[in-house]
Amino acid sequence: MPAQNPVQPLNGRDRSPVPRWLRILVIGRNPKATLIRAAVWPVLLLLGYHFTLLRIHVEGISMLPTYQDGSKYFVNRIAYLWREPQRGDVISIRMAGIHEMYLKRIIGLPGETVAFVNGRVLINGEVLDEPYEKLPCDWNLPPEKLGPDQYFVVGDNRSMPSQDHYFGKMDRDRIVGKIIR
Amino acid sequence: MKNVPSFILLAALAVLGVWLWFVLSPSPERIIRQRLAKLARTASFSSGEGNLARLAAAEDIAGYFATNVEVDINVPGRIQHTFTGRDEIQQAALGVRSTLSGLKVTFPDINITVAPDKQSAVADLTVEAVVAGERDSIVQEMKFTFRKTDDGWLISHVETVRTLSSTTLRFAQRRAPFIVYT
Repeated sequence: MPAQNPVQPLNGRDRSPVPRWLRILVIGRNPKATLIRAAVWPVLLLLGYHFTLLRIHVEGISMLPTYQDGSKYFVNRIAYLWREPQRGDVISIRMAGIHEMYLKRIIGLPGETVAFVNGRVLINGEVLDEPYEKLPCDWNLPPEKLGPDQYFVVGDNRSMPSQDHYFGKMDRDRIVGKIIR
Repeated sequence: MKNVPSFILLAALAVLGVWLWFVLSPSPERIIRQRLAKLARTASFSSGEGNLARLAAAEDIAGYFATNVEVDINVPGRIQHTFTGRDEIQQAALGVRSTLSGLKVTFPDINITVAPDKQSAVADLTVEAVVAGERDSIVQEMKFTFRKTDDGWLISHVETVRTLSSTTLRFAQRRAPFIVYT
């Protein structure tokens, strides 16, 4: 025997002043299931948002011109669950936690040697093509070998003095996620 | 149905018991978090502090540290200094309170690892200091080593952590709960 539809009038006539189609539109054919869905979906969405996205506020000028001081973005926290960070990815890097982080671009991958010569980045001795770098740079940095779990990160704005720019080697476990543009 | 009130009473008693247990025998991590929160409050001050209050606060701050504490501040190109012992900490705290018109210290992120023997612990934390009248705050990751003594959990060693290999002291404005510094 098929289950009785709660919205169907028992005697075949709908005596409610609200049209049946409107009731179905608002509360569905099965109000109990609609109620459960209404309770479960917001919780799932909230949890999904909390564990996958992080809204961040950008401070500073070292990612200019790609990321402006004061702008807001989202960090995808599950971006690296199934794949490893790639060269060119812009990532957020935690300090002790996620309330204060760095925003940098990956230029060196584990095991590589990174150097700066007259503003050009050398990876294992070869010049790295960096289309995102628009500002002039004259940095020089001796070659640094990265460990098996280390990345080399730097900002896009290398027109500022290197001693005022926060960059360098960092461990994989400090990566919080990838910026969504 | 007769047993429902007894069951509710029993559940309430169990919850109360667990709550009391947590309050009366806090874990080392909880104690350390509380101490760090108190330290941040004690280290913060506003203008108009009298000499006696200043001295008392400096003594209070020193009380959070072990007598033979070592504080290594090493921010390449900016600051490189080591404080040794409580007296130096107290003098430094007094100096800061005499020089600045106000300071607000917070630890927005704290990770605590307690040693298996529960006699020592390491707190990796982000320090944020806002100097009164300054536009930017100072943000730095640090590592505090705690040791359990007869006087409770005391800080035996403090060192700066280099988040990125070239990290220098970070000056920034805090305008949102989650900030990324570029």
